[in-house]
Amino acid sequence: MKKPINIILSIISVISLSSCGWKAGENDPGIEYAPDMYYSKGYEPMTQYSDTNKYRYNPYFMSMREPVKGSVAIGQLDYQYAYDNTPDGYEAAGAGLSMKISLSEKDQLEGERLFGIYCSVCHGMMGGNDGPVSTKQAALKPSWPNYQDKYIKELPIGKIYHTLTYGKNNMGSYAYALTPKERWSVATYVKRLSMMDSLGNLPVIKAIGVVETATTAAVIDSSKSIKKMKP
Amino acid sequence: MVKHLIKKHLKVKSIVFSIVCLLNLSFNAQLGLAAEAAKLSAQATEGEKLFKANCTSCHAMDIKQVGPALQGVHTRRSEEWLVKWIRNNEKLRASGDKDAIAVFNENNKVAMNLFENLSEDQVKSIVTYFKEWTAPVKAKPADGETAPKANFYSETTLYILGFLMVILLVVLLILRRTKNSLKQSLKEIEGEVKEIAEPSAFQEKLAYYKKRTNPTIFKLGVGIIILLLLASYGFYFGVTEVGVQQGYRPEQPIKYSHKIHAGELQIDCKYCHSTAEKSKQASVPSVNTCMNCHKAVQLRDRYEGEISPEIKKIYAAMDYNAEDQTYGNNPKPIRWIRIHNLPDHAFFNHSMHVKGAGVTCQTCHGPIQTMEVVEQYSTLQMAWCINCHKERKIDVENNPYYEKLHAKIKQEKDNKSSTYSKYFTKDGKIDISPAQNGALECSKCHY
Repeated sequence: MKKPINIILSIISVISLSSCGWKAGENDPGIEYAPDMYYSKGYEPMTQYSDTNKYRYNPYFMSMREPVKGSVAIGQLDYQYAYDNTPDGYEAAGAGLSMKISLSEKDQLEGERLFGIYCSVCHGMMGGNDGPVSTKQAALKPSWPNYQDKYIKELPIGKIYHTLTYGKNNMGSYAYALTPKERWSVATYVKRLSMMDSLGNLPVIKAIGVVETATTAAVIDSSKSIKKMKP
Repeated sequence: MVKHLIKKHLKVKSIVFSIVCLLNLSFNAQLGLAAEAAKLSAQATEGEKLFKANCTSCHAMDIKQVGPALQGVHTRRSEEWLVKWIRNNEKLRASGDKDAIAVFNENNKVAMNLFENLSEDQVKSIVTYFKEWTAPVKAKPADGETAPKANFYSETTLYILGFLMVILLVVLLILRRTKNSLKQSLKEIEGEVKEIAEPSAFQEKLAYYKKRTNPTIFKLGVGIIILLLLASYGFYFGVTEVGVQQGYRPEQPIKYSHKIHAGELQIDCKYCHSTAEKSKQASVPSVNTCMNCHKAVQLRDRYEGEISPEIKKIYAAMDYNAEDQTYGNNPKPIRWIRIHNLPDHAFFNHSMHVKGAGVTCQTCHGPIQTMEVVEQYSTLQMAWCINCHKERKIDVENNPYYEKLHAKIKQEKDNKSSTYSKYFTKDGKIDISPAQNGALECSKCHY
């Protein structure tokens, strides 16, 4: 090692070789300058703690907890639901449950958007039961042909809400994602879909108040109608 | 002696070459397992169509789903009974048929839909399908062929081959050196004078400065230069690498593929990450979200009648018994490994970006719908945040969140002295970035 350039080169090569382990990749998150900033001492959402002694008060050492029974968040509807997840509860909801809130036009459009996220994967955006998932997995295809079927037309909105809350047959519950108000807005969109005519026009919505009849949710302005083409 | 060495050298070369060839060989053998479709009569084919259109949401042939498994149902009940039950099970139960009431009670009193829209002949064709249905049998490879080992290229073989290559390369180098020195000495013996290499310009200069300066100062100078080089390298490394987890893609406890779910099946990101619009976190979905589909989708056709091993892990986490469809009392949450992890001193809120600004998930998370294993796509460095805040434009006109701002800007459009006038382009369009709207304030993200 007579030449200093050799020394420099060898030092740099050693550093760059070892730095391969500092860079993130595969299972290695790389080097972190302040680990206690990344793995917080305090409770962080969506975190499950490995220190089982410290977090022993939470179920499964998770930071998530269910709201206290009977509590209602500010500005929200009661998330506890009165009907049981049984066939009898389903019938009871159909007979007794009606929408107690009024949905503005904006809320109803929101229902359409939410239908696109949560329902259209199986039921199709226009309610043809031809979503990208149900066409590939036969077990997730509903037994009735489409939303314009007599079955949906006559389905009480209480039953639709009940199904969104608990699920039915192979459909799961959507209470995890949709607040009670959002569930009502989706149920209203389902009702609107069931009233689609053969040309693909959906009934026009206008703001509705407390719904009197249990069977029909959307109050329709029959004088106008928006042209909506099938995709 | 020399010739012999050269010969040996050639031999080594050929061995290396053959190993390289071996490494490059590729085996594309695939297991010839194609499920043979059982042939059905015309009536049964019609029945199969009807079955798939109307019944599969609750029934499967070989396993119990919402309704019972239908394998061999024609031996348990008469055809007449089946037709009556399928078309209108309510009527049959009301008539006091004992079998019908027993079946209803056995299946948790979940009423089956009525299928009066199907004609009697159509229902009969479904029953024919039940009769002719046979469990799909996987074709075994013919006796003569032996299935090639799937993991011929195990990692250990690769490591061994690589190790051998390194050793051979070292041997090659040593032999080369020996050969050269032998050649040299041969030349010396034969009387050829070894040429003395002339010093290069750099060496000359170095020698010149070495002569001129004090030896301690010279050594110190060289040392300082080395230190500076190391320090600048360290600075560069610290800035670009430390705390930057770009490319981190850990193996998760369940081999969940975003490529299949978000790509091929086109499930919206928000279907599973449903809180992205409502909260600071775009949550990792709880297992019941998986169960929305995987209660029914078990992919038994791909695993010889068994539930897919990855789906089994979901069931284990839920303590769900797929055979009798009951939940136990011993759930074990899945320990997903967090990939995107901001330090505590930086604030980020998903709902502000997803719902408020309408940023798509892919803007920050990259082409997630093509990722088999999710990796961190962006650097998540502060400069990356700031760039985006400077370059993006706020859609004030169509975004209801900016209604008030839009009204204010519009009002002040013609007022040249107003602070809002700078938000207009020459042709009178509104052009405002988040940075101009205060998104670069330190305390917006660090507080």
